[in-house]
Amino acid sequence: MNAPAGDLAPHMADDLGIDTTMTTAMATETTLLNPRFYTTDFDELDRVDVSSVRPAWDGLIAQMRSDPNKGHFKKTADWDQIDWAGMEPTLRREFIDFLVSSCTAEFSGCVLYKEMKRRGSNPDICELFNYMARDEARHAGFINDALREAGVAVNLGFLTRAKKYTYFRPKFIYYATYLSEKIGYARYITIFRHLEANPDQRFHPIFKWFREWCNDEFSHGEAFALLMRTDPKLTSSFANKLWIRFFLTAVYSTMYVRDHARPAFHAALGVDIEWYDQEVFRKTSAIARQVFPIEIDIDHPRWLPNLRRMRDAFGQMDAGTRQGGFLGWAQRMAGGAKAAYAFAALYTIPVIKSTPPANVRLEPSY
Amino acid sequence: MGLFTREVEQVPCTVEVSHRFESLHAHVRFDNGAVVHPGDEVLVHGAPIMAAYGEVIVEERAATITRASLIERLWTRATGDFGFMELCEFSFSEEIKL
Repeated sequence: MNAPAGDLAPHMADDLGIDTTMTTAMATETTLLNPRFYTTDFDELDRVDVSSVRPAWDGLIAQMRSDPNKGHFKKTADWDQIDWAGMEPTLRREFIDFLVSSCTAEFSGCVLYKEMKRRGSNPDICELFNYMARDEARHAGFINDALREAGVAVNLGFLTRAKKYTYFRPKFIYYATYLSEKIGYARYITIFRHLEANPDQRFHPIFKWFREWCNDEFSHGEAFALLMRTDPKLTSSFANKLWIRFFLTAVYSTMYVRDHARPAFHAALGVDIEWYDQEVFRKTSAIARQVFPIEIDIDHPRWLPNLRRMRDAFGQMDAGTRQGGFLGWAQRMAGGAKAAYAFAALYTIPVIKSTPPANVRLEPSY
Repeated sequence: MGLFTREVEQVPCTVEVSHRFESLHAHVRFDNGAVVHPGDEVLVHGAPIMAAYGEVIVEERAATITRASLIERLWTRATGDFGFMELCEFSFSEEIKL
């Protein structure tokens, strides 16, 4: 589950390291965006037949075509000026990391969707991926602008570096992107609602945009839910249910570990990380009942203790990497074993079963 | 395609880099319809394309596709799925302490 972070991490770490040496108000840092390039089984994708979900599909595509968020991503008078230079350095570093990660995720989504649109020949599939690529590029542009204000320049020079193409099976694209879109929705709306109740903790205007923003994530997730419905085996066979369980466990536990790497960011928002993560899991699981027949029991007594164990294990691996040498290596291995054990303990928590409803479509309701 | 050997192809391509408020994206299209398979490596020749803010650059370039060997292709097919985590906003930097 320790997924390779591509080439991005080292550059980002280097570049983000610069801000401690900042002396002038707005020294410019550069972050090299370095998304991965993907390929998949395009023939299989072309064979997808949405006729079994046609009315819901057409409704969703019509909504995407009408582009309800077209006017949303504009800076208005609500966009408050931020004193970036005066921001507490740890918070600044973590917040920029948050923006860069978000921007890269949107950007990677855009690259993936665009590739699927370009290589496909099935008009339903191509139209869908075209709209989703449009949304992701728009989100990335909006975040990029916030980064520019912070004096962080995004470098798109990665195209002229050698790129290896990674392969995803179509069904893995469905599971992974479905979850990533729905969890993205749950994360954005949870922060938005929290700041709506506590406006004094909104330290940057970008959070004001999260409500409409997350509706894009929500509808992308809807599209993948419909795609999964076109082939019932994807969510009902024994092996696929094990995969779904794997994806849920991997995505949730990664989110827990990663969020704990940004304590100052969450403290500034007035958010308890464990509370926030559980809240996001709860919302995501409730939404995912639309298509997944199983959900993780996040109130099980083994859940939180093993997430904490996982976080400590990753901390240990990280410390080992920093230390280097044989002792560092040993520490990394010990951390890795601990993480694997914690993952197994999480994966084997009995799941909650449910029967997905006949009508798959949902509207954002949080 | 060899079991262990890689083949190299030169292909013309069009790159588009948009560094605008409305859209931040970058794409490569192979003009001769070449198709990239799992594990293949693509190198676009020439200087890095540095779109300034507000700019869209569309350029015709040459690219080298290094085809993966059969073994590499199978390996990438078998393992690529685990890269999915990078699509999630919270999973990019590997550092646990920032």
